[in-house]
Amino acid sequence: MSPPLAFTLNGAPATIDAEETLLDALRERLGATEVKAGCAIGRCGACTVLLDGAAVNACLLSGWQVAGRAITTIAGLAALPVGETLAAAMEEENAFQCGYCAPGMMMSLAGLLAARPLPDDARIAEALEGNLCRCTGYHSILRGARTARDRLKDLP
Amino acid sequence: MSVTRAATLDDALARIAAGARPVAGGTAFRLDAAAGKPVPADLVDIGALLPKGIAKNRIGAGTDLETLRWESVPLLSAAAADVAAPNIRRLATLGGTIGWRAGCLLPALLALDAQVGTTHGPRPLADWLARPEGLVLSVTVLPLARQIWRKTGLRAGFCPSIIAAAGSFSMEDGRITAVRLAVGGGAVAPARLPETEGWLLGRPLATLDRAALGARIEAEIAAPDCAFRSARYRRRVAANALVAGLVGLAPLRRPARPRPAPAPLPDLTELSRTAGEDRWHMREDMPAKVRGTLAYMTDVRAEGMLVGRILRAAHPHAEILAIDTTAAETLPGVRAVVTHRDVPGLNAFGILLQDQPALCADRVRYLGDAVAAVAAIDAETAERALSLIRVDYRPLPLVEDMEAALAPGAPALHAAGNLVTEVGLSRGDLAAGFAGAAHVVEDTYVTPRQMHGFMETEGGWAAPEGEGVIVCAGGQHGARDRMQLARILALPEDRIRVVTSPTGGAFGGKDELTVQPALALLALKARVPVRLHLSRAESVLAGTKRNPFVIRMRTGCDAEGRLVAQEVEALADSGAYASLSPGVLETAMEHAAGPYRVENIRTHGRLAYTNNGTGGAFRGFGANQMSYAIECQIDRLAALCGLDPVEIRRRNLRRAGEPGFLGQKVAPTEKLSEMLDVAAASTLWAPAAVRADEVTGTGIALNYQGNGLGTIPTDEARFEIRLEGGRIRVFTGLDEIGQGMVASVHAAVAERLHCARADIEVIFGDTGTAPDSGSTTASRGGYVVWRGVEETAPALAEKILVQASLRLGLPADRLRIVPGGVQAEGGNHSPTLAFSALAPERAETFFAFPKSDYRAGNARFIFAYGVTLARVAISRVSGAVRVLDLEIHTAAGKVIDMASYLGQMEGGLVQGLGFTLTEDMPMTGGRPLARNFDSYLMPTVRDVPERMRATAHEPLDPADPFGPRGVGELGIGAVTPAIANAVADALGAWPATAPFPPETLLAMLEAAR
Repeated sequence: MSPPLAFTLNGAPATIDAEETLLDALRERLGATEVKAGCAIGRCGACTVLLDGAAVNACLLSGWQVAGRAITTIAGLAALPVGETLAAAMEEENAFQCGYCAPGMMMSLAGLLAARPLPDDARIAEALEGNLCRCTGYHSILRGARTARDRLKDLP
Repeated sequence: MSVTRAATLDDALARIAAGARPVAGGTAFRLDAAAGKPVPADLVDIGALLPKGIAKNRIGAGTDLETLRWESVPLLSAAAADVAAPNIRRLATLGGTIGWRAGCLLPALLALDAQVGTTHGPRPLADWLARPEGLVLSVTVLPLARQIWRKTGLRAGFCPSIIAAAGSFSMEDGRITAVRLAVGGGAVAPARLPETEGWLLGRPLATLDRAALGARIEAEIAAPDCAFRSARYRRRVAANALVAGLVGLAPLRRPARPRPAPAPLPDLTELSRTAGEDRWHMREDMPAKVRGTLAYMTDVRAEGMLVGRILRAAHPHAEILAIDTTAAETLPGVRAVVTHRDVPGLNAFGILLQDQPALCADRVRYLGDAVAAVAAIDAETAERALSLIRVDYRPLPLVEDMEAALAPGAPALHAAGNLVTEVGLSRGDLAAGFAGAAHVVEDTYVTPRQMHGFMETEGGWAAPEGEGVIVCAGGQHGARDRMQLARILALPEDRIRVVTSPTGGAFGGKDELTVQPALALLALKARVPVRLHLSRAESVLAGTKRNPFVIRMRTGCDAEGRLVAQEVEALADSGAYASLSPGVLETAMEHAAGPYRVENIRTHGRLAYTNNGTGGAFRGFGANQMSYAIECQIDRLAALCGLDPVEIRRRNLRRAGEPGFLGQKVAPTEKLSEMLDVAAASTLWAPAAVRADEVTGTGIALNYQGNGLGTIPTDEARFEIRLEGGRIRVFTGLDEIGQGMVASVHAAVAERLHCARADIEVIFGDTGTAPDSGSTTASRGGYVVWRGVEETAPALAEKILVQASLRLGLPADRLRIVPGGVQAEGGNHSPTLAFSALAPERAETFFAFPKSDYRAGNARFIFAYGVTLARVAISRVSGAVRVLDLEIHTAAGKVIDMASYLGQMEGGLVQGLGFTLTEDMPMTGGRPLARNFDSYLMPTVRDVPERMRATAHEPLDPADPFGPRGVGELGIGAVTPAIANAVADALGAWPATAPFPPETLLAMLEAAR
């Protein structure tokens, strides 16, 4: 077996085996259970994290793809420039119900809102196409995301 | 599996020649693995070696599909938008999708006459696909002037293609001068259509015969059948898409149906943050959920905690001859293996009948049956141990069909036979009723085996605690779970603590026991904590599902549209065990006439055991299945009578004060007429602006949903409220499953006590700390919260004020509770005496849920009312329904917490939309076709309506003492018939099978032409 590979998890050093999926490493070994497991085949987005700032499914990544790179989970949201604006807007809108999809939804949106120009409504919806939610019917999540986008627009 | 990174292309080619598989983004091999294909042993990472970037129409093979999607490569960028989802497109590369030799980009590339640059030199893509030699390094596309692209899948968002059609063509003087057509995607082999292309060349577009062109295309396409769609459908859709792209579709005339006359609007509360203003509050659970700090019970980790796994049945129906766990037990790292031999008590559970084994002893009845369970030091060891358990089976004949299950001589799943239960009612003179009918409609409505699809699958942890056990797993009634576990474990209830909240969604699917027996047995045997979290695949296989129904309904009305007779024959699939399915059937039959008066009626419903998974409670609980049938029947009669859909319902509505359907006494407040008034005024009756290849229609459906468990089961609640530690602490055994129970407690207590929401803390979902408030099911939670608060808060307030009065030396009537404490009359904003300065006080209550006097069967007493409107667009290319608008207007008394109420409406509507359009789990040989979320298609963000609106008509009758109704099931109740009626508004025919087969809708479109 090859030696563990180094990467950063929310800014802190961490290791992963080449063949291990990032989702398994996070939930089973590294205690990062804020990342949720919903399907393990890339179809629900509950495990969405940022890979060097871009939203991806942790269940589709193996150690060899993560080596030397920066992973940000929902636990690292507050440290992102858009994190607080996004979180506050989602809270006010009561975006979620059971909340299990939230860590993934939030990271898809965090990745999206970091890009410029800011996304239009259609692009917000598209960014969430890989994130399933069974409780809300999505509209509350879209409302919260649009509010966050509008507030980011107003920032200097 | 091993992965190595190639340093050079030559290095990569050498390893590939030695048998390694090249991988770039790595998504394709994972999709293959998810589909059950073997995972390659050796992967060689070539991602860094592939050129990236797009220069005009030349694209580096390492370019990711998300980059491609936002470029403006003709045809290809549009096609890339339909591949997977952005988070996956970011990983997937163009070279990878070509190397995979499947997927919906290939027809687009073929229509673009793509040329690939490879390590073996340049070649046309079509050649490379036939004979893949060398690695693809770049792709050059050669678009013609105009492009055609259409992907048709099983839903709108992220899913594999049923078929994708692509075209690129040029025109000169109205004639086609060059054309390339291609199909592919999913199970369809990527291919150009050279014969059709040749036929089209030189032809004038204006006079092209669409039917002849379509027939040519269909004849040339090679497409397979699959379990979801026929080959014929695939060919037809691709032909329609290409014809539409080349010449457009022929105009279609819409039948004009009468529209309702507007009526005066009743009082309505618009449910939204902006309209709600000071009634809109942030739910107290939002910060933790939004920020990911809420630990679910499947997230709990601790030093020394073992990992559990469950061995499921190897056959859907078999006798167990022997179970040998020796090898598993001796595997290093295994700490406990349990089988039926380890069940000390009753090896059976079930809310109504105890017919489901905790761990099967002598027989398995469905593929999700638990046979054994293992606890080991990690998941890998536990899984290896499962594979070492030897179970000898003797397969038994399968019972796959519910009708066949009830036929004489059918193999019996249980000792008493396959008929679980039978319900019927007969009133009036059916024959005379039909004889006097001016119009009679009859159809057979078929509904799907819907999966709850909670995002957090069944799971949690358990640990020995004192002389007993603590079991923490998502549930909907901890006290009942404890009672069932006590029977299985042969332990007194007071030695078992069950924690059921928080959980990541339930919808009825965590009402029955799930993993708790296995968890508890493992923890007690291993004597250490054990965690267990079902994979999605295991949850799909083992979890409870909605009972499929087949409902034959014959309904007659007189010339004025008044119902005169109705006959209902229903058959429902219970699956292998009963759970709450008998209650589901009973509830369905209780709704057999909808909210209408029918004097002559006969109903008969049967529930059958089969080897098709296992069924039970699911939001709506049979009422939504039956509403589908009755609400379509009444719409059909309206069409025959020339009445608008509101008017025919008005003529048949139950009257306030009348007994319920079963003749039972019901609570006051009937708001159906008001619901129709709101529906008549809806803006959705105007035709929507739709795309050129769509038709639109509008439909409505009424529903009413009983609250509570009904007359027969025990239905009681305890509720307690305390002042302690400066907080108002509320104790209830209800569960927070996402619906906003806790927010509703905050809202109700703050309003009754006049304290702040921030003063309140709710202790819930834990038999160790909270009283039994009954189940969090059957739309009863909202009522229990309201009544619990109503019966405790005034007493607590009085005690607080008396205590404050003594402390302050002021009369109690000059004091009042304010946010943070007690204030003396004339005080400013801050409390004169903070809650923290007061000694503890408490008030508690125990009450029975309001019930009817009817004891001959199970009947509901209090109801909530709703009307749902749908406006749809139906694709003339694919028959797919796009729901543009959903509106729900409700009457359920006062809205306790606006955000929670709105959430129940929107979520219920969309869960119903899934039931109606995309969700099903057909079974073959006792095995579900769905394996995971790749083959079970819940709505994505792209599948939901563009607009949703929810309102509440809040007043109850002045004499109604029963307070707010629960609304957890109201939202899902009438979506299916509202959409079906909207489809019929557009097409003149009603789909009677849900999810609506697009192939049927295409046939209806063709008939409407």
